[in-house]
Amino acid sequence: MTFETSIALRYLAASRRRAHVALITTISILGLAVGVAALVISLSLLSGFQDRIRSQMAQRSPHVRVSPARGAVVPDPARVAQALSSLAGVVSVDPAIEGRGWASGRGVESTLPIRYRNAPAGELPASPDDAPPPARVSASVATRTRTGPGDLLTVTSSRTRLSPLGLIPVRVVVRVADVRRAGALEKAPDVELPEATARLLSGIASGARAYEARLANPSRAEIAARAVSLVLGPEYRVETWRELNAPLSFALRLEKAVIFATVALVIVVAALTIVSNIALTVVEKKRDLGVLTSLGATPGSLARIYLTLGALIGAIGTGLGIAIGVTASVLLDRYEVVSLPADVYLLTHVPFAVHAGEVALVGAFALLTAIAAAVLPARAAARLAAGEAIRLSR
Amino acid sequence: MLAVDAKGLSKTYMGEAAPVTVFQNLDFEVEEAVLAAVMGPSGVGKSTLLHLLGGIDRPDSGRVEIFGQSLEELSPRERARFRNENIGFVFQFHHLLPEFTAEENVAFPHRIAGVPSGEARRLASELLDRVGLADRRSHLSRSLSGGEQQRVAIARALARRPRLLLADEPTGNLDAESARVVFDLLAELHYERRMTTVLVTHNPELAKRCDKIFAMSREGILPATGFPG
Repeated sequence: MTFETSIALRYLAASRRRAHVALITTISILGLAVGVAALVISLSLLSGFQDRIRSQMAQRSPHVRVSPARGAVVPDPARVAQALSSLAGVVSVDPAIEGRGWASGRGVESTLPIRYRNAPAGELPASPDDAPPPARVSASVATRTRTGPGDLLTVTSSRTRLSPLGLIPVRVVVRVADVRRAGALEKAPDVELPEATARLLSGIASGARAYEARLANPSRAEIAARAVSLVLGPEYRVETWRELNAPLSFALRLEKAVIFATVALVIVVAALTIVSNIALTVVEKKRDLGVLTSLGATPGSLARIYLTLGALIGAIGTGLGIAIGVTASVLLDRYEVVSLPADVYLLTHVPFAVHAGEVALVGAFALLTAIAAAVLPARAAARLAAGEAIRLSR
Repeated sequence: MLAVDAKGLSKTYMGEAAPVTVFQNLDFEVEEAVLAAVMGPSGVGKSTLLHLLGGIDRPDSGRVEIFGQSLEELSPRERARFRNENIGFVFQFHHLLPEFTAEENVAFPHRIAGVPSGEARRLASELLDRVGLADRRSHLSRSLSGGEQQRVAIARALARRPRLLLADEPTGNLDAESARVVFDLLAELHYERRMTTVLVTHNPELAKRCDKIFAMSREGILPATGFPG
């Protein structure tokens, strides 16, 4: 232990005997602890929600998507499907047959612009050949076309076909099999159809606009994407589920950054009390500084005593704050303390998720802020005129 | 060889109302291994002179050389190192750090020099033994008597075996008996270690026991007449 650290430790321990310093030290430590705890709890709350959103994102999005770099249709579907199927940990590979059109329900005059695509194999119930094909529609489409499970829905493609009467739009009547109650942030098609129906509407008889693979472990999507990209070369664009949802991911990160910056102000305010605390100690210990100078301490050493004192106060406050914040977050999540109305939200309670990396970031920020707060008084200590300090302390 | 060679020293402090000139164009020399006493009325700048000689204060003009090393030529860091290795200070009010034990106080010069804690404490303990305070090493400095505190302060000043000891009224705050014990100790250590000692005192009896006496006044500092040396 350096002599600077031993002096800072002793000053901190001895502050109990100086009532005014003890009070300010306690306020500094508690203020920092409150700020750190508030930040840990806020980030845990956000992470709780964002983890749910990300897990839904990973659940609903294809994990790796391959589309042609030029043109609307994959030029070599077999090669692409083979490249994706040979990936380690691949669960399924589906073609993406998608397009734009309009949907209208029975007795509803207006038509609604929609995006349609094929549902992953096996997700829609089978229907007899002569019956309208099944479809899964988003809650928004169901509401606006006034349809529900069992109702018929007309889907008109933007594509036309030639008939004896001239060009007429391609139109299919489907039966609503399921209404998907999707999260507002989810990027899902409005109408999902069997592959054959989607091919009919889009006019893609074979192949696809893209091929999509689902993996057993979505976190390995980047590695899988790099492997596929190497095999297929530059004629194909290979995207992961994170890239496909990049705007949403950015919004989630931005939200967290804004919350961090806002709640971190509590820590900055707490740091101001550390400035006054250490400045007071510098004034009180002016004579000691003069004496240490006479013993050969450098100005840098004197500054380090007070920087260490700031770091010690910061470490105690940060440790306390992390303990409070993590404990509170874990308890709030485990005992589902904050409940949500199940008919409004997809969740029954407010989730909290403690991420070690975020806690470490909060800890590092609080500690650095505390040390930064000590810089000004520490510099004053380093500039102290030792002779004057001793002369005036007689 | 000159241990202390100060030429043309001037120092002015910023007083509350107006600048206060302590001294102007002051010359002061002390030969090596001399025990020198500086006497003079209060306010003539005896303490300020010691601070300038020790490099813990800077003169407005003039230069100070200690064992041939000009203090002005050193950077603050080099000056601190030079002080740690060559100069010891004893103050009138001991100025021990109250949160630390006697041994820890004496170990500070070693710790500042980068000596490991255990070794520094061992050296401090030896020195406390030498000044007769072996049984007080683990006492907090504030629990010691005035005389004991000043002996700890002497041990601290001598921890790094300095070649120059600057003592500013080391007995000024003590009763006659404690003052005699402290002065005896200082004199013993001075001769034992062959140091150069500059001692500010108001006590003519103690000054008489020094090798040389300087009389300081507003006009300057000169070897005193009527005393030995």
